Amino acid sequence: MENVTPSHYIVLSLCLFSIGFLGVLLRRNLLLMLMSLELMLNGINLALVTFSRSSLNLDGSIFVFFIMTVAAAEVAVGLAILVALFKKRRSVFSEDMNVITN
Amino acid sequence: MEVMTNMDAFQVFAEDNMWRQIWPELSLVLGAVLVLLVDLFGPKQQKKSSLSGSLAVLIQAFLLVYHLLDYLLLNHTFERSSFSGMLCHGFQGDIARTFFLLASLCVSIMGNRYLFLNRSRVGEFHHLTMVATAGLMLLCQSNNFIVLFVALETVALAFYPLVAYNTNSEKSLEAGLKYLIFGALSSALLLLGIVFLYGVGSNPEAWGASATYDNSRDYLSFEYVGDLLFNNPDNLFLRGGVVLILSGLAFKIGAAPFQIWVADVYHGSPTPITAFLAVSSKAAGFFLLLTLVNGPFFGVSDFLLPLIGVVATFTILFGNLAACTQQNIKRMLGLSGVAHAGYLLVAVMASMHFAGDSDRAVWVVYFYLFIYLFASILIFAVMSLAHFENTDEDQQFEHYQGLLKKHPWIALSLLVGIASLAGIPPFGGFIAKLMLFNVAFEAKLHWSMVSMVLGVVISIYYYFGWIREICFQPKPKFDDEEKDQDLWLRLDQIGLIKFTIICFAVVSFVLGIWQGPFGDAF
Amino acid sequence: MSLQQIILLGSIFIPAFSAIVILLFFLNNERRAKEIAYVAFIFPFAAGIILFLNFDPLNDGYSHEILFERMGLHELGITFHLGLNGVSAPLFAMAGVVGMSAGIAAIHSNADRKSLYLALLSFMQSGLMGIFASVDIFFYYLFHEFALIPTFLMIGIWGGRDRRSIALEITIYLTLGALISLGGLVALNVMVDSAKFDFPSLSNAILSDGLGSSTQNKIFGLLLFGFGILVALFPFHTWAARGYECAPTSVSMLHAGVLKKFGLYGLIQIALPLLPEGGQSWGAYILWLALGNVLFVGAVTIAQNNLKSMIGNGSVMHMGYCFLGLGVCSSLGASGAIMLMCAHGLSVSLMFLLSHYIHLRSGSLEMNEMGGLGGQTPILACFFAAATFATIGLPGFGNFWGEFAIFLSLGAQEGHFVFLVLAALGIIISAIFGLRAMARIFYGTKTDEMIAYQKNKKISDLRSKEILPAAVILLPLLLLGLWPKMVSDGIDTNVSSQLSILNEEGVGDYALPPCCPPQVELKKKAPPLMDSIKPENGGND
Repeated sequence: MENVTPSHYIVLSLCLFSIGFLGVLLRRNLLLMLMSLELMLNGINLALVTFSRSSLNLDGSIFVFFIMTVAAAEVAVGLAILVALFKKRRSVFSEDMNVITN
Repeated sequence: MEVMTNMDAFQVFAEDNMWRQIWPELSLVLGAVLVLLVDLFGPKQQKKSSLSGSLAVLIQAFLLVYHLLDYLLLNHTFERSSFSGMLCHGFQGDIARTFFLLASLCVSIMGNRYLFLNRSRVGEFHHLTMVATAGLMLLCQSNNFIVLFVALETVALAFYPLVAYNTNSEKSLEAGLKYLIFGALSSALLLLGIVFLYGVGSNPEAWGASATYDNSRDYLSFEYVGDLLFNNPDNLFLRGGVVLILSGLAFKIGAAPFQIWVADVYHGSPTPITAFLAVSSKAAGFFLLLTLVNGPFFGVSDFLLPLIGVVATFTILFGNLAACTQQNIKRMLGLSGVAHAGYLLVAVMASMHFAGDSDRAVWVVYFYLFIYLFASILIFAVMSLAHFENTDEDQQFEHYQGLLKKHPWIALSLLVGIASLAGIPPFGGFIAKLMLFNVAFEAKLHWSMVSMVLGVVISIYYYFGWIREICFQPKPKFDDEEKDQDLWLRLDQIGLIKFTIICFAVVSFVLGIWQGPFGDAF
Repeated sequence: MSLQQIILLGSIFIPAFSAIVILLFFLNNERRAKEIAYVAFIFPFAAGIILFLNFDPLNDGYSHEILFERMGLHELGITFHLGLNGVSAPLFAMAGVVGMSAGIAAIHSNADRKSLYLALLSFMQSGLMGIFASVDIFFYYLFHEFALIPTFLMIGIWGGRDRRSIALEITIYLTLGALISLGGLVALNVMVDSAKFDFPSLSNAILSDGLGSSTQNKIFGLLLFGFGILVALFPFHTWAARGYECAPTSVSMLHAGVLKKFGLYGLIQIALPLLPEGGQSWGAYILWLALGNVLFVGAVTIAQNNLKSMIGNGSVMHMGYCFLGLGVCSSLGASGAIMLMCAHGLSVSLMFLLSHYIHLRSGSLEMNEMGGLGGQTPILACFFAAATFATIGLPGFGNFWGEFAIFLSLGAQEGHFVFLVLAALGIIISAIFGLRAMARIFYGTKTDEMIAYQKNKKISDLRSKEILPAAVILLPLLLLGLWPKMVSDGIDTNVSSQLSILNEEGVGDYALPPCCPPQVELKKKAPPLMDSIKPENGGND
């Protein structure tokens, strides 16, 4: 078995990112959409750590901390809005969010 | 030979943290916290204006005046980077600060009326607005991709609850959720772009790029990325990274193909927040775009120019055509804002075209943004005078019928705002478009000019359609059609908004005829 | 500042200022609003007459100049520069005359919300005076657009049937034309590196640097189509008739009489002298399109039954003559076009005014529902006859001299003979629709509809307050027809000097028709601005 090189990590992170991306676009459940957003950000975290490690530079790892903070705050706000919406609409599916029309 | 101890290194590092340079942002954040505390612990009032609301307006007005005086009297002509190259203070930073403070002040004024009519909580609104403004001001002074990202996310995170502020209204919540999902998606794209740039920058040989100077540079600073891109304009990863970053920005501006969220989010959010989005968010995107394409991305501008050209044309045409079909005013304003973003993209292209001498095109962008600020705030302020029974979102054209007869002053100010946006002389919007035409012609962007002309002609349809509703006699209704509710009641408590409206109407008119100091700096 | 400069400045600002005063204070007080409106319209009229009489026709530059340098946008060379030259002085006076007439007609009309109507009309008047008074090209454009919103509002609020949609339609169409011409003007500003954006500086700059021929073609094309849409050049003419039919009388008078001349004035004063090669290459197209105006729209005019629609189409047709004069690219043709513009402005606004009076007395504008009005209103019939003869182009009115000069210029160049013949058919066409309208309205027996309308009303002839606006227009028209020299001297000096600056051949011979009284010093071409610099062809492209 060959060695695991940084390229493998990059491919993995891109896979995570695209799974998350497609998840946001294609999922109907809003909770799962939020989860897919988190997945994207985690894919990016992985890529950053890999690049940081492979060039022995700490900037990337520090950036990861910022991203994690932002992701946490985002999901907090997102869940708060989702809960408020759920109280009104009694549903977490995106096709029930159709009040705004022309 | 001196050896630097740890403490010496720290001292050198700490000296570069010039906190005095960011005193507006710091005081704004402190003011935000103060507003929140006052709202929490202050006296409970049921009267027309709450203490924290007035406090917020006062703090921002004071900051704006002080900043303007500070800027105009002390001649700041330097460009200085501080915080070890994280922030860059200069002319653009000061213009951006003035812009955002002014916009935020007007949003707070409108917000007070909205919160009073809606009986919502006051403190959080102003806190979030002020924090968002501080973030915007920092964003436009960033010199490093980490600071860019953090500031951008601060702004975005402050906006999500603001858009969803009216928790009693499903439309508001739904708009907030849509904005969050789209916004998070685009910031993830932006982040991926930054990661690509970092990846290639930190280890250039591994990814087929040639190394730049020494390795002790900050890999995510604008200078380093600029050098990297200048030396390797053909690298696929780098190009991909640049395109992804610009896609993330295009979301904020509302450029095609990332403009799907605009109509719905503008529709659902409360009117002052729609104004905030339309003006500040878009302006931040453009300040940032200007910084990026004339700074780090300068090396790939041959590749970017046709790309931005296609995006601009598509944006202009889509924005104008889609706005023609809208019945709801906020949706129409949102899509017309998309069209204006398209025009501004043409100016950005012109600035890329003039390599070292992009001052004229950059100045056109600034001037256009300010004129857009005046006209949009004017229109949204008039819209915020309308009083709905339950929710605020559904202002249709029919609600404005015959306004000229009922309230001529409001109608005339609204007319000035619409005419300025449409680019009709003798208002400021025409001068902005004229300067834009000039700069675009000098940059030989002929096809973009053709699409701009088409766009402006199409926009006459919906702008003058609104004027038609305001001024002409309404179509006679059948007896069994229900009467639309008359929104224009409760016009007694509008002192500060009236002042804002009249101020901006006069400014829009005067700038159309005499540009004075603004034109000289051009 | 001399008295004349103050009058010039005032003629633009007093109508605008009175409009603001009406809007601010007297929106509900109609009587006061009317008094202020009198001032707003009489002052430009007086200013126009005074400044025109004080104008020295042998001066080929600008007189009564006012210049404000620091208006901002210095980089684009924009200054606030007012002045009158040989071509703009008669047009300025015409604008004042038509404005006063339209204003008085509006004051005595029975429109509701009259204060707002008068305020908007005053804004429009201010813009009209500014168009012909400005030397700076940007402000020339600005003053034209100044009138766009008032026109939109007035058609939409006080117009006839379908006014809501026609107002929007006309605004979109005119904005398209305005933007295309703005593109041309911006191109001119950018390609020619001159300090100020007005005609003398531009011609100096082109003299020293030269402008390539393909650039000239493109810029001239943009200006032609932009201004052409604004002047209802065929095939972009459809907005005009619909708009004039629907608009209230005063608006039709001001728009058809004065505002439409904006485009032609720009083409003759800016495009033709500065871009001679562009003019030559587009000349043939202009002639054919102008023929379309004359013949095609002329045929449409004959088919019209509605009086206002007929007048509107007729005015589009007469613009065809002006374009013919332009397309020949000679000083005779251009002078004829200007002369026709002055006279046509007066005659078409007189026609619109009289159509309003006819409408008051017969209840409808459809000509097959009218008849025999002449017995009841002989004075109105006289005025209408005069206006019709002017429109046809009979001698005695100013239109004749303009059309005659245009036909002469067509005939002077070989290859244009077929245009001359076809254009002369236009006279027959105007005779047909003009005289037929007169016959149907004033002669013959009354139709049933008219009898029914007039049953309980007292139909009187023109009262004195109705005669005043009509006479105010008719007198200059007669004066122009009987003594054209007062206008043509200035026009000739200016046009021939301008056209010869950049075009060495001094296009077109100025040959006097033998029946005119001898005009002094006409063969003298004004000296070119810079003797020592020859125009270079093949400059930047």
